This record gives sequence, structure tokens and C-alpha cells, in this order.
Amino acid sequence: MSSEGTSPDSSVGIDRSRRQFIAAAGAVGVLGLAGCQGGSTGGEEAVTVASLNPMTGPYSSLGPGQRTGAELAVAEINNNDDYDFEFELVTGDTETEAGAAQSEAQRVVQEEGAEFVFGAISSSVALGLNDFAAQSEHIYFPGGAAVPITGSACNEWVFRFETNTAQIAEAISAYSVNNLGNNVWFHYADYAYGDSVYNRTSRRMENASDDYTEVGTSTSELGASNYGSFITQISNSEADVVMLGMTGGDLVNFTNQAADQGLTNQMAVVGPTQTFQSVRAGTGSNSVGTFGGARYDPSLETGDNQAFVEAYASENDREPGNFARVGYDSIRLMAKGMNEAGSTEPGDVRDALEGGTFTTVLGDITLRESDHQATNPTWIAELVEGGSDSADVELLEQVPGSETLPPASDLGCEM
Amino acid sequence: MTETVLETDGLTKRFGKLTAVDDVSLSVSDGEFRSVIGPNGAGKTTTFNLITGALSPSEGVVRFKGEDITNVAPHERVGRGLGRSFQITNVFGGLTVRENVRLAAQSVYSDEINPGEALFRDKNGFEEIAEQTRTVLEQIGLQDRADEHAEALAYGDQRRLELGLVLATDPDLVMLDEPTAGMSSEETQATMNLIDEVLSDRSLMLIEHDIDLVMRVSDRITVLTRGEELASGTPEEIANNEDVRDAYLGGVRE
Amino acid sequence: MVAADFIEQLLNGLTLGMVYVLLAAGLSVIFGVMDVINFSHGELFALGAYFSLSIIAPFGAGTGFWIAIVVAPVVVGLIGAAIERTTVRPLYGRDPLYHILLTFGLVLVINDVIRLIWGTQQRQLAVPEYLSRPVSILGVQVSVYNYFMIVFAALLAVVTWYLLNRTKYGMIIRAGSQDREMVRNVGIDIDQYYTLVFGVGAALAAVAGIVLGGYQNVNTGMGNSVIIPAFVVVVLGGLGSFRGAVFGGLLVGVVQTLMRAYSGSVLATFGDTTLTVPNLEGLTVYLLMIAVLLVKPQGLFGTRGEESDGEGEILVGGYGGVLADSTRVRLGGIAVVALALAPIAILFMGDQYYLVVLNEILIWAIFALSLDIVMGYAGLVPLGHTMFYGVGAYTAALVMLHYSQSVFVVLLGAILICAVLAWVVGSLSIRVSGVYFAMITLAFAELLYSAVFKFDFTGGSDGLLGFEAFLGLGTVGESLSNIEFGLLGYELGQQFVFYYLALLIAVLSFLFARRMMNAPFGSVLQSIRESEERAEFIGYDVNRYKRRAFVISGGMAGLAGGLLAVSPSTVIISPDQTLNWIHSGEVIVIALFGGMGTLYGPMIGSGVFFGAEEFLSSYTDQWRLIIGTMFILFVLFVPRGIVSIPSLVAQRLETANNADGAVDMDEPEVRSDD
Repeated sequence: MSSEGTSPDSSVGIDRSRRQFIAAAGAVGVLGLAGCQGGSTGGEEAVTVASLNPMTGPYSSLGPGQRTGAELAVAEINNNDDYDFEFELVTGDTETEAGAAQSEAQRVVQEEGAEFVFGAISSSVALGLNDFAAQSEHIYFPGGAAVPITGSACNEWVFRFETNTAQIAEAISAYSVNNLGNNVWFHYADYAYGDSVYNRTSRRMENASDDYTEVGTSTSELGASNYGSFITQISNSEADVVMLGMTGGDLVNFTNQAADQGLTNQMAVVGPTQTFQSVRAGTGSNSVGTFGGARYDPSLETGDNQAFVEAYASENDREPGNFARVGYDSIRLMAKGMNEAGSTEPGDVRDALEGGTFTTVLGDITLRESDHQATNPTWIAELVEGGSDSADVELLEQVPGSETLPPASDLGCEM
Repeated sequence: MTETVLETDGLTKRFGKLTAVDDVSLSVSDGEFRSVIGPNGAGKTTTFNLITGALSPSEGVVRFKGEDITNVAPHERVGRGLGRSFQITNVFGGLTVRENVRLAAQSVYSDEINPGEALFRDKNGFEEIAEQTRTVLEQIGLQDRADEHAEALAYGDQRRLELGLVLATDPDLVMLDEPTAGMSSEETQATMNLIDEVLSDRSLMLIEHDIDLVMRVSDRITVLTRGEELASGTPEEIANNEDVRDAYLGGVRE
Repeated sequence: MVAADFIEQLLNGLTLGMVYVLLAAGLSVIFGVMDVINFSHGELFALGAYFSLSIIAPFGAGTGFWIAIVVAPVVVGLIGAAIERTTVRPLYGRDPLYHILLTFGLVLVINDVIRLIWGTQQRQLAVPEYLSRPVSILGVQVSVYNYFMIVFAALLAVVTWYLLNRTKYGMIIRAGSQDREMVRNVGIDIDQYYTLVFGVGAALAAVAGIVLGGYQNVNTGMGNSVIIPAFVVVVLGGLGSFRGAVFGGLLVGVVQTLMRAYSGSVLATFGDTTLTVPNLEGLTVYLLMIAVLLVKPQGLFGTRGEESDGEGEILVGGYGGVLADSTRVRLGGIAVVALALAPIAILFMGDQYYLVVLNEILIWAIFALSLDIVMGYAGLVPLGHTMFYGVGAYTAALVMLHYSQSVFVVLLGAILICAVLAWVVGSLSIRVSGVYFAMITLAFAELLYSAVFKFDFTGGSDGLLGFEAFLGLGTVGESLSNIEFGLLGYELGQQFVFYYLALLIAVLSFLFARRMMNAPFGSVLQSIRESEERAEFIGYDVNRYKRRAFVISGGMAGLAGGLLAVSPSTVIISPDQTLNWIHSGEVIVIALFGGMGTLYGPMIGSGVFFGAEEFLSSYTDQWRLIIGTMFILFVLFVPRGIVSIPSLVAQRLETANNADGAVDMDEPEVRSDD
């Protein structure tokens, strides 16, 4: 498991392999900093966009979703006459490791000439790509949910369609404390994302109810695999609700062990990403009875979601999850920004995107001028017995986009 | 001949319940050729290791040139003039013959080389070391093969190099651990001649199995049995010693 | 209630501990009997879980789980036996170092095969319903599965113990793990048992994978996540000791779990100050391991002494080469000139990305060179060398953030801090040798890796951001990012400037190391590699020389890490990028791959490794599989590394010319091997 490496996905038809691309670039005589114009195909202008996703490493179960969503968007844009340019998709593997991500980002930007980049899930990788975008002045749509990406580390080149942790915290905090119980235990993984969930949800709960009590907290290391000791501790406390600040494999392991040890029957288990497809796949029936924040659900009737779900399902034989949705609309937002700007220059597109309102699968959202964060609505959901191996998501309550997002200054963004 | 170069006082080594060396007190005079003999398991090699520092004693003291070296590290004993050879040839096989000897010579001058020189000056640029290396190569007769890898030498030549390494450290006392083990009688003779040739001006302590050999070359002999000193004396004295004959020589001689 | 709570935690600890026991038992006996440090043990563990996924699918959890727990280990055991026969067997008698290269290659291959067959999605391993429900006994509530894991693993451990202690085969294996030579001397062909041991070890790992897979989930990273704890267990218990593996496994499981459960809990309150259990999860086991190794290097139950000198041979690259020294110097000169001109070619191609790759190669060339000083010359194999690379990078980033942006100050800071760290680690570690030294440095590296997550000043899991280097000293100079100048109408930026800086430093580092090896200090290091005992008895303080070499090596690795931070390509310094143990493995592999003990070999190794990775990954997703296979073939057929290829070719030609019928049966590359 080397971690400095690169692994572009060349298996999809719309990808052009890197070597071919260099040949194309050479043929049209692109010199200097490669490819502001990119290679040209046919009569339409070709714009190189990049999707950098964790295909290996701890988040490798989430990366492919991002990738597939982005690929679908590129295919649609290229078949749609509303856009008078073609997208050329190049891909890379971030491996959830900042070093690999940086070198991949440089490859797609400098070698492939991409000036529109989407991707990354882990906060460290996304922050690295944020910085790189500011340095080389290209548009970047991060896939991570950590607040600082459009908070303290925000910059003018970064736009986020992914719903951030603060927004999800809004959705689950008030509902949990008002409907599931006042006594809350927090268990979170000891890293940026976990800390941010704890800080956000505990503060929101305090505001939402006078009867709220923080019964206790516990932390585990990122990537820990055995949660038995924490579950015992939580189970022996007075808590009605346990709020989980963890995601990916950590959350899967916790949920499985919580169900085995009977914690799920005893109290409400709430996790911001509990509804993720990958989490449900990894937990099977063990997640039935837990609660989670939902950033997205295929059943939504918002925006053009149903068309997206249909197209995605016919292409991939399954419904899209949150990461596919982020990949899909992040790429579409780039294209919509270009149409709005009437240009494919990053600077022009940036000006068009900033403060703009666009139709997405989540309805009309605005990329806030103050921090470039999308004003997405969020939901709280319960996981219920499903038809297949994994649990189904039942949306309980929606929090509209206008109410989920604290002011940019609260999140630390100064632009 | 009167000054004592090596002295052990009540030297004892226990391994668990087994006492391998029991209260051995030896005294080797300057310029003497001392041999230590005894049957297998008599504690010869353990005694050797206690003196060279490869093992530390359970009790007792080792004095070298009047100083207590019981707690001195092996490499420092070499620095003070206590050299040793190995029973199984132990040279730097991947290096040239010259480099083998040069390394041993360099160790004598280590203290005079400042850190900057140690890191950056060409190792062949130290005149005294080079001179010493040349001298030793000549003494052991390997000057013509100096640029070959040590592991390419024939067995006999490797033994010569082995002694050359000891010689190059300019020792006052040389400890020899069965230098002729596994050799034919001609090879044994050649080796003893070589020892006589190159080491005769130094004090020697020979750990040996071969009684005949010992009787011929030694000034004095110490006999060990079961870790204890049975007798010490000139070859004639040992040959005539009743205890020794009973305990050791008798069985072999008849 | 408190007692019940504690018992629950103890049960949790035992559950985890029993998994470690199953993993460590095989790992330990394999090491004891064959001296193989098997990094691929973790992937065999994962393979067990993945096979059972496929077995359970058609049968359902009820019966499928039981079929899987019998069939999957057998399959993995057979795979293990096949691996031993085809790849491990030819390497016996060589230094354990070569098993690192080999099994590292196996890790890449097996992991890629898993990804290819089963995909990257994490999966749930279905467990019979009656096993996965909570049960309460005397107020102690855990899952039935916990009891199942403990009882099942304990049964297996007892069976293994019985086989080892009460059967003829077992006694031979056990004797072999304590003293192989003795077993050979009594006329038993211990080598015949290796396949059996490797196969059974793999099967035990597979059982552990299935059992743990049912408790957690099955994912492609699961092998990687258990291998280091498994090594800790093996070392703690004593290499080669089954009893040690059992004790060590349970100890690590329980200690980890209790530290986790009670960290942050209040011990006592004095007025306003409260005394709490510090949050040392992650650090504890490594501290424990270091302490045990320092006090009792052979581990708690180890019976083997430190392995004797000359047990296996380290094959250095340059020895017996056919190229004359002058040819080598000329080739080196040509390489440097070519590297100096490379940016111009890149400029014409108009693709600055190649410069990023070249920069990475140069940084790793320095890193690999630093390793060669201790590994190829002083004969020390540190499995934690990335601690210097990482600490160098962190130091550089911190200096830039808080103190000075001057490249010179930054790099000097990185070198000094790492040299001090190397002195401390070296002073503690060098007293143990061989594989124990490898393990103790691994423990230090892991300790630092865990530590950077805990501190705010290191940026926790995110790492450090927002630093920038300044090419110059004081106020004289220019920010790297501001440097842009034109040449022949092309715009040259910071990448170019950094490239030449890195090239200059790489060349100087090489010249420094070469000079040192031809000076008195270096010549002693080479004598230590040849025979440590002899070096000591011609009067050298071997440990002092080793420690100094370690300090120089650490400082140079710190320089490489510092350059990483200074590089304009680097915008963030994060833990996994710099301190993850995998980089310690990679740098060893690169040095061996290039040719150890030559100084230039490891540098060439860096170029070929990253070049191949870059090239292969642009054509296929399965590049790890190819690189892994390449390592395996190299360790089998070109053990002296890339730099030995010319002499290998020459020997082949010579053999071909002389081969009128008498074919030389000896493989030329392993001639000095037996």
C-alpha cells in the first residue's frame, strides 16, 4: 500500500488517457504552462475538469460514488446543446493522504491542464487542495464536509456544494434534544471532523432546549476498530441519546458493535452520516433504529433530483448516494457557472458562481457570496427495516436551507 | 622478565548453577609465552573471554599492566595493548587485505584523528597508519596480495591475515585462542613458526588443546580442570607434576 | 456497578486480545523458525475475511458462517504454503532484510488482487443471528459474539499449543524456533517443516480475519491496520515464543482497551486541580514495547538470544561489479549533467508536472541515501526511519510558520532537530541489535506518529498549512513563490528554482556520504558491517560508531523531510504523508531495490521506483500489482539491486560463452549466499 502514488481511473469511456492527452496537447502546440485551452475536439471548446477522489485508503468506499456522479454529469453536459463546450474529465486518486493528493492535484492541473477541480473527502486533503487552488488560481469544489474548508480556510477559488458539518448539526441537534431525549452522550473520533461535530451539535443542543444535559463524552482515535469499551461506558451512563462524531469505517464499526451489545435498543444512536449508503452497506440490519442527518436522499422531489436518480440508476444499476450527488452537481455547477459567465476562464467563472443561485438536485441553492458555501436544506432521518440487505432511510423532518447555515463570520471565513 | 603484564585475582564466572571458572589467579610476566591447557569444559575459553572482556566475571579482578581493567570495555582493552585472535578465522572478508590491516592500524591512531579528519580526510592519507600497514603486510608476507579481497585468500593466508590484524594494533600481550585448531601438522608447524616470527617480542597467552605443541613453545603452562587452576609451572614442572599426570596427561599419554 | 463496568471492559479487551493472539501466534512462530519478518501476514488475515464473504453469500449467515470459518482458513493456508514454496523458500539463509522486500511486494500484490476481485466498498460479514445479540450475565452486558470470539480463539490457541507441545512435528518446530542449528545438528531437516509452519500461520491469520470481520467490517485496509499491533505483540511476547504471543496478545488487547475506556477519567481532585488519566491511547503500547525491549530485549517470554553474527548475509550492491571505478564516476557525472539539463527538456514539452515528479525523486533519493549509511554500511536496519523524514518535515514547517522562512535556516533546523532525535533514539536502541533494533525504531516512529495527532502545535490530523519558504537569509533573498524569470521566452517559476536547489543538495549529500565512507570514520562502519565482533577486537567502540552513523543518517533524513516542506509542491504537511510506517518500509525497499551499500544505488532506486509508479499508474489501475511483482522478482533474481545488473549480465554472457555443455548450476547472484 504505497501512499505517494497515483491511480487515475481510466476505465470509463469519457476519460481520455493521460498519454493520449499529452499527445493531443503536443499536436496543437501547447507550450508554457500547459493547457489553458486544453486540447480541442470537434467544433466545441473542450474544458478539462478533474475529479480527485479517494479510491484507496480509509475513504475508498466513498470515493467511487463521487467519481461516478462526476462522470454522469460530464456525460450529460457533453450531450446537452445548452452548453457550447465539452468537458474532458481527468481523474486521480487522493488516497486520503495529503501528500498523494497534492501530487495528484499538480498532475491534473499542470500536466492535464485542468482549471476546474472537484473532489477529496478528508479534511486534511481538502484543505491542502484549497490552498493549492488559491496558489494556482483554479476553481475547486471540495467534497469534504469539515467546516473550515469554507470557514477559516476559505478562499475566493473554493466553492462547496457538499453540505457542511455545521448545516447537518443544525438539522440533527434540535430534533434530537427535543424528540429523542435530553441526556446526551457524545462519542467522537479524535480528529478535525469529530471535534467539529462535537462542537457544533453540543452548542446547538444547548440553544435548542433548556433541559439539555451533556452526560459525558468519549473519544477514540481515527481508524480505531474496537468500540466495545466505549459502548459499555455509554450503556452504563444515564444517556438517552448518543451523538456520534465519526464517519466511514469508524461509524460502521461502532454501529455494528453498538447493535451487538444492545446499545441501539437502549438509547437513540445518532450520527450525522448514519444515512450514508456506504455506512448502511457496512452495517446491514445493525443500523435499523438509529438516527442520522441526511444531506441527500434519492426519494427527494426537490429540484431535478428525480431525473438525476433515473439517469444514475440506469447507468449504474443502483440509486445515487450523497457522494454521487455532490460529484454530479459540483460538476454541473462548474458548467452552469461557465454558461452564466459566458466564458471558461476560471476568473470569470468564479465571479459568476459567487453569490449565484442555481437549480440543483436539492432545489434552488445559492453559493453564498460571503463564503461560497451552498445553502442546502438538510433532514433528520430514521433508519428502518429495508427490503434489501441494508436499512432504508425514512426522512423525519426537513430544515430549510435558509435556516441551516450560520453566518460566514461565525464559521470563521474572511474573504 | 620480572614485571607482571597480566594478572587475574580470584577470577570466577558462574552461569546459573554451573561454575565455569572458579577462583583462578594467574600472573603473566612481561615477555613471557604462557599457555593455558586443560580438557574440554575446563574453563579455558571462558577464562579467555573474561580476560579479553567478551564476558564479565561474577567475581574477581583482571589487572593489565598494573591497572584494574575488570570493568573496561573490550575495545578499550585492545586500545591499552591487549590483543586477541579468533579461533575461527574472523577477518573482514569483503574488504581488501590492505584495508583489513589498515583498519587495525587506524584503531591505534584513532585518538589522534580529529572529528573533521575522521569524517572527511582520505583514509589513505595518514602517513603513520600507511607506514604501519606496510610494515605489518611485510611481516605477514601478504604484501603481494594486498589488493585482493580477504575472502579470496587461501585458509592459511587468512590465518596469517588474522594474526596481522592483531599485530597491527601493536599489542603488548596477545591472546591466542587455539590458533591451530583444525590444522594439519604441517599447517600447525607453519602457524607456530609465524607466531614465533612476528609475535616473539610480545607477551603471549595461548589457549590450547594440543599438549605436545604447548610443551615445545611455552615458557610457562597453566593447567585448568573443572574451572580450577590445577597447576602452573615450566613445561618440565608440569610434565613431572603428579596431579597433572593423574588428572590430565595420564589418559592422553598412555 | 463499577465492578461490572470493569469486567465488561476486561471482556472487551480480551476479545480484541484473542484476535491478536491468533495473528501473532503464526507471525511469531514463522519468525522463530524461519527468521521471516512477514509483512504480508496482515493481507492473509484480510484474505480470510474476504473469502468468507464469498462463501457466506450463497449459504446465508446461518450455515455459511460455519462453513466459511472452516473452509476459508484452509484455502488461505494453502495459499500461504504456496507462497512459501515459490517465493520465501529461495531466500532462506539470507538476511531477514530480504524478507521485508519480498513480503512488502506480497502486500502490494495481495492487496491489489483483493481490490480487483471484491472491490473497495466496505462489506459486512454476516454472522448467525444468535451470535450477534446482547446478553447479560450478572449485570455484565456484552454481545454473545464477544464470548464466541474469546472461547473460539482460546480453543484454537489450546489446539495449537497441544500440536506444538505434544506432537512430534510440533516439538521439532518448537525446538527449531529456539535453536535451528541444534535441530539441524541432530540430523533433522528442519527446512521440510517450513511450508507447514507458513501454511498453518496463514490459516490462523485467516481465522482471525473472519472472527474480527464479523465483529467489525471487511475492508481493504484491514490488513494494514492490524500488522503493526501484531508486530508489537510478537516483540513484547518474545520472537518465536508461542506462550509469548498469547500473553502479549492479551496484554496489548487489555491495555489498549482499558487506556481507551479510562482515559480522561478523574483519578483524584485536590482543591481546584483534578488529576485525570492522560489520553495516551495509541502511545501506550509503543511505550510498553520500548520499555520491554530496553529491559529484556528478547521479549517477555523469548528464549532465543540475540541472533549471532553472520546468520544471514546482507548483499551489497557494488561488490564485485564489472564497471571500473572511473566508468562509474563518468556515469555519475553524466547523470548529474542530464538531471541539470532535464528542466530544459521539460520546458520544451511544456509540462511542468514532470518537474514535480523529479523533485519527489530527488527528495526520496536523499532519504534513501541516508538509510544506506546505516543499513548498507553500519549493518543497522531501522524499521522506523520515516520518523526522521517526518520530524524533519514538521520541524521545517514549524520553523517557517513561527521563526524564519529562510530556506537555509529551515533546513538547518530540520537537520539539527533530527540529529538530536537520532542521538536520543540511537542511544536507547543501539544496545539491541538485529531485528530488535528494527522493532524498537519502529516503536519510536509509531510513538511520534501517534503523538502528532494529539498536539495542537502539529495541527492534529489535518497537519500544518500556510507556510512558505524564502530563498535567502535575513532580508536578502526572495520568496520562492515570487521567483519567476524569463528564459528564451519561457516563464520559469518556483518549481525550477526548487528543482536546482534539490539537485544541488542531493549531489552534495552524495559527495558528503562518499567522502565520509572513504575517510577513517566510514571505513570503520564498513568493518562493522563485515564483522562487528572483529571490529570491536581491533579496538573500535562499535556502538559509538553506530550511534554516530545513526545521528548522521537521521540528520540527512531530516534534510530530506525539510526539503519536502520547503518544496513549492507541498502546501500541507500531514501525519500520514510523512510519519506513517509504510514510508519506513518504502525507503528500505527503495534502497534494496537500487542496491545497498553503494550510496548511489538507493538514489537510483528512488528514481526507478517513482518513475515506474508514475509511468505504470498512467496506464493501469493495477500498478501496485505490477510494482509488487517487480519487488518479488528482484529479491529472487537480482538481490543486489539495480546497480548489480551490469555484472549479472556480464556473468550470464560469460556463462553462455563457456557453456559447451557444462552448465553452471549455481545462480551467480546467490553465490556467496550459503
